[in-house]
Amino acid sequence: MTAYIVTHTTRYRYSQPVSVCHNEAYLVPREFPRQQCRITQLQIDPAPAVRDAREDYFGNRVVYFAVQKSHTVLRVSATSEINVIPLEPFDMEASPPWESAAATIAADTELSAYRLDSPLIPTGSKWSEYARPSFPAGRPLLLAVQDLMGRIFADFKYDPGFTTLATPLADVLAHRRGVCQDFAHLGIACLRSFGLAARYVSGYILTEPPPGQERLVGADASHAWFAAYCPTFGWIDFDPTNDRLPTDQHLTVAWGRDYSDVPPLRGVILGGGSHDLEVSVDVRRV
Amino acid sequence: MESRPDHWLFGEYRPPTGLYDEACAGPGELREHFRDVIEAFETLKPEGLKARSQEAQRLLRESGVTYSIYDDPQGPHRPWTLDLLPMVLTHAQWKTIETGLSQRAELLNRILIDLYGPQQLIKEKLLPAEFVFAHPGFILPCFPMNFPQNRPLVLYAADLARDRQGEPIVLSDRAQAPSGAGYALENRLVMSRVMPNLYREAQVQRMAMFFRAYRDTLASLAVHSKGEPRVVLHTPGPDNETYFEHAYLASYMGYTLVEGSDMTVRDSRVWLKTLEGLQPIDVILRRVDDSYCDPLELRSESLLGTPGLVQAVRRGRVAVANPLGSGLLENPALPVFLPQLCQALLGEELKMQSVPSWWCGRPDDCRYVLEHLEELFIRSIKPQAEKRLIRGDHLSAAEKASLIERIQQKPHLYVAQTPIELSTAPVLVGDRVEARRMSLRCFLVARQHGYFALPGGLTRVAGQADQRIVTNQTGGLSKDTWVIQAAEPEAPWVLPLTPARKQLLTRGGDDLPSRVAENLFWLGRYTERTESLARLLREAMWRLLDRESDFFPDRGLSHLLQTVTHYSTTYPGFVGSDAASKLAEPRNELMALLCDPGRIGGMRFNVHAVLRAARSVRDRLSDDTWRLMNSLEQMIATPGTLSDLLENAERLILLLAGFSGLSNESMSRGPSWRFIEIGRRLERALGMLTLLRLSFPAKLPEGAQPIRILLGVSDSWKTYRLRYGSTLQSDGVLDLTLVDESHPRSVGHQFVRLHELVSALPVKVQLPRRSTEERCLLEAQAALRLADVLALAPPAADQPPAPELDQLLSKLRGLLIALADGLSQSHFSHTLELPQQLVDYR
Repeated sequence: MTAYIVTHTTRYRYSQPVSVCHNEAYLVPREFPRQQCRITQLQIDPAPAVRDAREDYFGNRVVYFAVQKSHTVLRVSATSEINVIPLEPFDMEASPPWESAAATIAADTELSAYRLDSPLIPTGSKWSEYARPSFPAGRPLLLAVQDLMGRIFADFKYDPGFTTLATPLADVLAHRRGVCQDFAHLGIACLRSFGLAARYVSGYILTEPPPGQERLVGADASHAWFAAYCPTFGWIDFDPTNDRLPTDQHLTVAWGRDYSDVPPLRGVILGGGSHDLEVSVDVRRV
Repeated sequence: MESRPDHWLFGEYRPPTGLYDEACAGPGELREHFRDVIEAFETLKPEGLKARSQEAQRLLRESGVTYSIYDDPQGPHRPWTLDLLPMVLTHAQWKTIETGLSQRAELLNRILIDLYGPQQLIKEKLLPAEFVFAHPGFILPCFPMNFPQNRPLVLYAADLARDRQGEPIVLSDRAQAPSGAGYALENRLVMSRVMPNLYREAQVQRMAMFFRAYRDTLASLAVHSKGEPRVVLHTPGPDNETYFEHAYLASYMGYTLVEGSDMTVRDSRVWLKTLEGLQPIDVILRRVDDSYCDPLELRSESLLGTPGLVQAVRRGRVAVANPLGSGLLENPALPVFLPQLCQALLGEELKMQSVPSWWCGRPDDCRYVLEHLEELFIRSIKPQAEKRLIRGDHLSAAEKASLIERIQQKPHLYVAQTPIELSTAPVLVGDRVEARRMSLRCFLVARQHGYFALPGGLTRVAGQADQRIVTNQTGGLSKDTWVIQAAEPEAPWVLPLTPARKQLLTRGGDDLPSRVAENLFWLGRYTERTESLARLLREAMWRLLDRESDFFPDRGLSHLLQTVTHYSTTYPGFVGSDAASKLAEPRNELMALLCDPGRIGGMRFNVHAVLRAARSVRDRLSDDTWRLMNSLEQMIATPGTLSDLLENAERLILLLAGFSGLSNESMSRGPSWRFIEIGRRLERALGMLTLLRLSFPAKLPEGAQPIRILLGVSDSWKTYRLRYGSTLQSDGVLDLTLVDESHPRSVGHQFVRLHELVSALPVKVQLPRRSTEERCLLEAQAALRLADVLALAPPAADQPPAPELDQLLSKLRGLLIALADGLSQSHFSHTLELPQQLVDYR
């Protein structure tokens, strides 16, 4: 078991006072058999008048809060203690052929939300054409997904300046560049275009420091990858940005159909003029 | 039935064969239940009928009943058209419809509860998962929803047609924010006025009970409220196609009409922003599509919603009717599954059939659809992805191939329907009747023990004889719908109404949302601005006609025209580089000022501004005022001869004067009236200050007599003449128009009135000092009262005034502008803060 402390801080600064803000935060990491998160301290400054936690449709922990007094800076900081159980090695060869997996998935209504188009992820021939080489007839599903992940890693350039949230996924495919969210969306679009179920995972990754150097605090950002559903194996994570299977260095916060289901923080403000944003994430092993 | 004089109307009526006609069973064979109505119409004779039709159209036009086309603010607010011949249903016909639809509403309600809760229907495969997850109407943030009441589907509407046997079938289900009940009510009102005898004798079932039940049900949703619950009607605003209905229903049912920005969420409650501060809202009757209701959790780009609303709903602090997420029931694939769902949920046979439908997500259905494409109508369950309705028989070979490919790729997104041959009904066209296709929209409201239907509903008729579908978008026609009471009245179903809470006697203001206050303020300003500009233009046109008749020389026309440009700020106009040619031939520029809607500051622009402000406060204006506004709209000038335009300006001035008269006579002296009046007074003072500056220029052009114009435009001639006879005297004019507080057109008088009005406005916080508005007014009044007219006025008509006059006028103007800013800070400030989305990050 590996233990981490994650601190994720967001700060909005406004040119004019904001009288009210309504926000929703996906900052409290969820728990599942391979991950425990006993404590999350969510500090909001100025103190919100309303704060309400609930579980969303996908089982994520979402916090609604509203600041109702005039402010020019909003600071939201989440500090979580997380334990991760490393992924046991498993035999991808043993996974069922992708075609039969797709048939099983189609019959499972619990998976429907992850199989159909979602707000930011369309499906269709564009995506299946790109993914086709990874899906020869009869290949075990997980091997096919692993191959797809490798190809996305090799074909696409990591380019933070190229895309924004509004960039359609088709542009990412056409220009072969994007960031981790784009690559996760791309992998999901490919899998869904073959009738498979895939979900978007939002979280953090520990960036290993170069040997002999102090790791940089705050250099890490929030990260995203995808997970594929495989009958008998369950959900398996794949990180196309790093071309690796998350073992124990990926910390999950939330999952959904795509980014729009689980943005770290969203909000609507009244007033405020223009604003700027500063984000830092610090993932420390303890 | 032969063509005899006493059968002049129906003698020739020949509905198309092979279709069901509501009035005739066969050629010349009237159906029994239409007989009385038709007889009555034929007794009227053509002249009588024509007069009544015109009367009906006049009533509708004057009440401003419109159906407008979205996204077309310049476009026409189309008048609602009512066909005088009612649609008649027998008691038995109605019973069938009522029973069928009550069951259907009950069923849809159960489906709604399940899909936002246990989703048992999906787990048991009675509904495919795609039905929910591929449909944009399923709103994830609203899941799970614990509906506090057992019928969250408060209002349900269905569009009905007939099958070949004449049995009613459902064309589509409306479960979000169905429109039309208000139009049905208005139609009934007009019919009962235009055809009072016929209506009374026909024993038509009344509508009032339905609206009482509706009101009662909405009130019962307010679980937390102890007193009279506050219910608001949430409209997308005046640009919406059915905005008339929103305003109409709001005043009929006694609800405040609100836009999204009139509400705010604090402490997980929804509040109405009023002049008296925030007031809690218990129930929102929404006419806004659910996905637009909350930019935080739903569509982030929406400007129609209220951030935090979903959270307030989730916490049970406010009830929304219909609930957010109910759009899911409008999935056109639903009819495919209804028979089995009815058995599973209610243990009954489905009583009313739907239009035969196929869902391509089922392989058998998909095969059938692809093989019979030409015979079917295709719909996408994602309305924004495809045209609303694809007609298989209208597709080219290429379009067909492309559609087949799209269906094969995502079959679950497509539904096919058999085209329905709508039944026909007779419609009055001139002095004869013509058969047109029709459909009937019925409305049901949830009650404690079931659903209660509005007897009849809204009958809509195709705009043309050859049109096979009925839609308002292409100019439809409507009918009042009469359900004839049973000959032997059965025991009436007594509505279990909860005992009415006694209304407290009140004289106070109603909830006046800040946005409405601001619009009233601008209504006052724009009517005043339009009126004074009309006076100026009238003066200019008179003089132009005089000059052209060669009877009088220029008489200061040039100076007057330049005053028009300055006054209306329509630069360059008569003062630009090409002024000389425009002054020599002023017609084109005058025409543009009067008729060009794109000329900012011009006449037509101002009239549009008046109408726009009036429309957004529709529910606050009296019927008479509203009629006046409609006449105003019809008088918008179009290019014509000078004398036509002159006449038009005359009428406009009278009409606007009528508006001030009406608001002074028939509005109670509450905040609504006060804001109109403040706007009017403020604008009048500003206008007078501008005119005064232009009338006392440092250098007077040859032959100009600006003070004469000043007296004319400000309607002060009479008073002046009474005092000074016909000699023009600068100091007398200045005293009368600037200082004299007893003259209702003077600047001084406006200050006195403004002071009274502003001091009577509600204050949210009592401070130990005067408000900005009051201080501005006190300072302005003092400056004016201390001014010495004799020293300021020009010593002789051809000499300039003292420079102090210009300083005084500037100072007063500055104070008035500060007053306007102060008002907006203290009373409209809510509207200044538009919600904005925080930038996302990844």
